Amino acid sequence: APPSSNTNNPKLYRSVIEDVINDVRDIFLDDGVDEQVLMELKTLWENKLMQSRAVDGFHSEEQQLLLQVQQQHQPQQQQHHHHHHHQQTQPQQTVPQQAQTQQVLIPASQQATAPQVIVPDSKLIQHMNASNMSAAATAATLALPAGVTPVQQILTNSGQLLQVVRAANGAQYIFQPQQSVVLQQQVIPQMQPGGVQAPVIQQVLAPLPGGISPQAGVIIQPQQILFTGNKTQVIPTTVAAPTPAQAQITATGQQQPQAQPAQTQAPLVLQVDGTGDTSSEEDEDEEEDYDDDEEEDKEKDGAEDGQVEEEPLNSEDDVSDEEGQELFDTENVVVCQYDKIHRSKNKWKFHLKDGIMNLNGRDYIFSKAIGDAEW
Amino acid sequence: MAYQLYRNTTLGNSLQESLDELIQSQQITPQLALQVLLQFDKAINSALAQRVRNRVNFRGALNTYRFCDNVWTFVLNDVEFREVTELIKVEKVKIVACDGKSKCFPNFFESKTTLRTLES
Repeated sequence: APPSSNTNNPKLYRSVIEDVINDVRDIFLDDGVDEQVLMELKTLWENKLMQSRAVDGFHSEEQQLLLQVQQQHQPQQQQHHHHHHHQQTQPQQTVPQQAQTQQVLIPASQQATAPQVIVPDSKLIQHMNASNMSAAATAATLALPAGVTPVQQILTNSGQLLQVVRAANGAQYIFQPQQSVVLQQQVIPQMQPGGVQAPVIQQVLAPLPGGISPQAGVIIQPQQILFTGNKTQVIPTTVAAPTPAQAQITATGQQQPQAQPAQTQAPLVLQVDGTGDTSSEEDEDEEEDYDDDEEEDKEKDGAEDGQVEEEPLNSEDDVSDEEGQELFDTENVVVCQYDKIHRSKNKWKFHLKDGIMNLNGRDYIFSKAIGDAEW
Repeated sequence: MAYQLYRNTTLGNSLQESLDELIQSQQITPQLALQVLLQFDKAINSALAQRVRNRVNFRGALNTYRFCDNVWTFVLNDVEFREVTELIKVEKVKIVACDGKSKCFPNFFESKTTLRTLES
């Protein structure tokens, strides 16, 4: 076997993943578990590895994107503030113009400044409000003009791909193509922007139990995207400006773990506290919770209340930014086997082998390690 | 049975988390998850033994040491790890090492002591 330095970590990990997945296939089948679940396991595994950023080059492009996310915070909200305000009175909506969702997508190829955004879980759940709009009502409010352009893709961490498209009138919809798509493969192409500096947010959405049925393609008004455990929901939102106006980026790089537990619970809670204001851009980073009816009045009052930060989200962002830098607070651990441990007075010598180390957040591997220490 | 030692690594933890999610969503049973982990143990032990061929040196100050159930646990401070290509410095590192000569302790890591050692 070729000697492997730690630059070969990704390959080693990949081969272990492949071996394990292949070796357990029979066990899955014997248990009557579908192959798709096996693939989901693989996807989950790979995604988590990638997100840990412990391994360079595991998915190198994604890692760069994640780093961008960590490093940038986008308060693009402000620029769109006025846009949004104007949009509020557009007749297209029968529902109130809400604060924009946290996401904004702009196809890299089509617009100069759009970062690709992936929808954070917890926020989505909270938009869930079965009583708000029926699908039919929503569909009625959405014109479906011919000129629909793909805006971006949203990926759940179970590998399901949701395509957001923008109609000529600015409304955005989300479809779900029938097949599951691996996260990385879809994200990358979109990420070759023409000079887009916006961070990409790698979103980990909790796996959708059973997956979304193909019928569940969601038609969503521009700004609220709603995912639930096993159904999708249409939520009317404000009309998107026909420009990068909607660039809202939520740097959720580090906050997935919190979102996931909520995602897997079936009941959805509509959040009506916190952001009572109407300024959509400012709420980008926040949970889009509103009951639409409530929002309507508030929005129309033209209140630009000033930004109401939902602290938890933003502060999490800050934390994750720090973690994105060198000063990791990781526990540095070496897991290995010992050939020989020797001590003479207070001088210790360690002869170790077959070890995996996590140092400063990164993984290293060795076949042999020799160390000295004084106690 | 191969050492379960490597479950507490990035690779192992990400697998365990993934399995946990599938259990939560009831797509697999805990028993199946365990089978996967056992397979992981074999695969990672084998890969490390066969596909890795590099050496590392390190030096530091020994803060604590423990030997229990044939497992050594060390905590070192101000350590430098050196490989041909790079130098890594950490203020603190924990080393957990199983006996390299004995590969077959089936229930080894089920003992509470050992688990505490590994998971601390």
